[in-house]
Amino acid sequence: MDLQRLKPHLPWITLIVLVAFVGMTDSNFLKPANLLELAGDIVPLFIMALGLTFAIYIGGIDLSAQSMANMITVVASVYLASLGLWVAVVCVGLGFALGLLSGYVTTKLFVPSFISTLAVGGVCFSVAQWLSGNRALNMDAEQRNALFGWMIGRTGIIPNELFIAAGLLALCLFIERRTVLGRALKAVGAGELAAAASGLNVTRYKMLAFAISGALAAVAGLLFSVKLSGGAPTIANGFLLPAIVAVLVGGTPLTGGVGGVLNTAIGTLIVAVIRASMLYFGVQATQQQMVFGLVLIAAIALTIDRSKLRTVK
Amino acid sequence: MNRYLTRENAIRWAPLMVLIGLVILFTAINPAFFSQRNFARITVAAAPALMVAIGVTFIIVMGSIDLSMEGTVGLTAVLFCFLFLATGGTLAVGGWVAMPLILLLGAAIGFVNGLVHVKLRIPSFMASLAIGFVGTGAAVLVTGGDIVKIDDDTFRALLTWRIAGFPLMVYVVGGFVLLAWFIQSHTTLGRNFYAVGGGEELAHASGLNVRRVRIMGFVLAGMFYAVAGILQVAKLGQAESVSGANFMFISITSVVVGGVALWGGIGGVWNTVVGVLIVNVINNGMVVIGLPDFLQDGVLGLLVIVAVVLSTDRRSISFVK
Repeated sequence: MDLQRLKPHLPWITLIVLVAFVGMTDSNFLKPANLLELAGDIVPLFIMALGLTFAIYIGGIDLSAQSMANMITVVASVYLASLGLWVAVVCVGLGFALGLLSGYVTTKLFVPSFISTLAVGGVCFSVAQWLSGNRALNMDAEQRNALFGWMIGRTGIIPNELFIAAGLLALCLFIERRTVLGRALKAVGAGELAAAASGLNVTRYKMLAFAISGALAAVAGLLFSVKLSGGAPTIANGFLLPAIVAVLVGGTPLTGGVGGVLNTAIGTLIVAVIRASMLYFGVQATQQQMVFGLVLIAAIALTIDRSKLRTVK
Repeated sequence: MNRYLTRENAIRWAPLMVLIGLVILFTAINPAFFSQRNFARITVAAAPALMVAIGVTFIIVMGSIDLSMEGTVGLTAVLFCFLFLATGGTLAVGGWVAMPLILLLGAAIGFVNGLVHVKLRIPSFMASLAIGFVGTGAAVLVTGGDIVKIDDDTFRALLTWRIAGFPLMVYVVGGFVLLAWFIQSHTTLGRNFYAVGGGEELAHASGLNVRRVRIMGFVLAGMFYAVAGILQVAKLGQAESVSGANFMFISITSVVVGGVALWGGIGGVWNTVVGVLIVNVINNGMVVIGLPDFLQDGVLGLLVIVAVVLSTDRRSISFVK
């Protein structure tokens, strides 16, 4: 069996090998309660990675995801009292709109997506600082429990976050596999010029991909702020790197076109296991960023489709 | 159309016009802006950022991008402090040894960056972003999250010793700008950056070793980041793992606002100097006229989009990723 045919199966093989490896070293790791807890904790990151998948799937990138989540934690904390449950709609709408803005700037104004999303991220950061007055905010605990308590509790031994994650994954999988939008995104990722030549409204679909990415980053921010019962302009810092790693180790290459949201689910689990195993092996939390940086390079090098890049800039 | 009112000329001089316009605007709102003390403040604030921006200019001229500056500046700043303290803790005894060593370290980080980008054929923005994360991680590792302080009067003279009202570090930065301009305009390497940026395949076809030029570009950029790291220590008297924070956004914004085209081949060191001054005049001016400082990132974000849009010849490209 040659490497090319093995490649699509590498992510889940990696996951199983990692789980078995850590499981052999520490028998507590494989207990269902521990595994479920591990999976529950990674859900905000997973949702952000899910959104990023759409941006990367079309060959772009969304560097604003982290700032977006930061801003949403502040928005959620500030407006929970006055808007109640509607705050969720505002948050997701805001994420969608700002994502659409990134998409517009990228496609209509020809600004490369890593710059346009970086810029929109700067705008998000400003808004977050302005709304919060540069302080950490707290939610009213009673109101949070009444309105959003269902997000973070447990059903039996299963953390509720996992149901949210499963629901969003199913929704994204449906978009990807069963809608015109999904097929169009695949066409754009596989070959943008060909897609445009066959009459596809590439601009619209690319803008939608960035909008979905923004909306899901907002959901991640909302869930994160509910979990922590508060928000701050830098509270979600440290999400961006593992989220990009999750998408790439899952098997969606930077060049886009292959992979997808199911791959990202596996990729996120790999990130979760690597994180947990670092704790077991006594690697300090401070070193995680280094490890993930190196994993990122390895993941890109393995997944990237070099035939699509005539010159690598 | 008038011979002098071409698109090229407009793009070339627009950043300088914007800078002059901003200075006039802020002075009109608050005359205190136009004072020698305030200009000294602006130049000191701009000094490390200018070194970072000059470094990344070489990369952008090649049509690539380097996002590793936060990690590189953080790591070099932290290690500079450690080396400086280990070699005597003062410039007068043996502390000066730390400077060339840290420049070499910066070059080494840039070299790794270039190797990952060129040898593994990973797009530069992602390769350098990953290396930047590793750099920040390494800085956290060596400091354990602590702050390292340096209080050596001879070293801090970079900030405290003033000539004609401007601190010594401003003149040092001026020297490095001249060096960068010399490299850009009067060395083979500098011209090769433009050859690669103007058309990589053409450069390759004319026998240029494009991969080597790319790696050399990242090495050069790494050295300038190391200079920024040292200046950052001189400015603040301390270093920590987040010493490089926000340099990515500021420096890329500056370079682009100054008129260096992201597509490569256009612009250069002087554009970057003007760009850094624009960004710092805006930052300073917003404070001087009493606007809250949290608006800065938002304003800069919008500014960078406008600058890229204006500098892009939209007839010549079909799509961007």
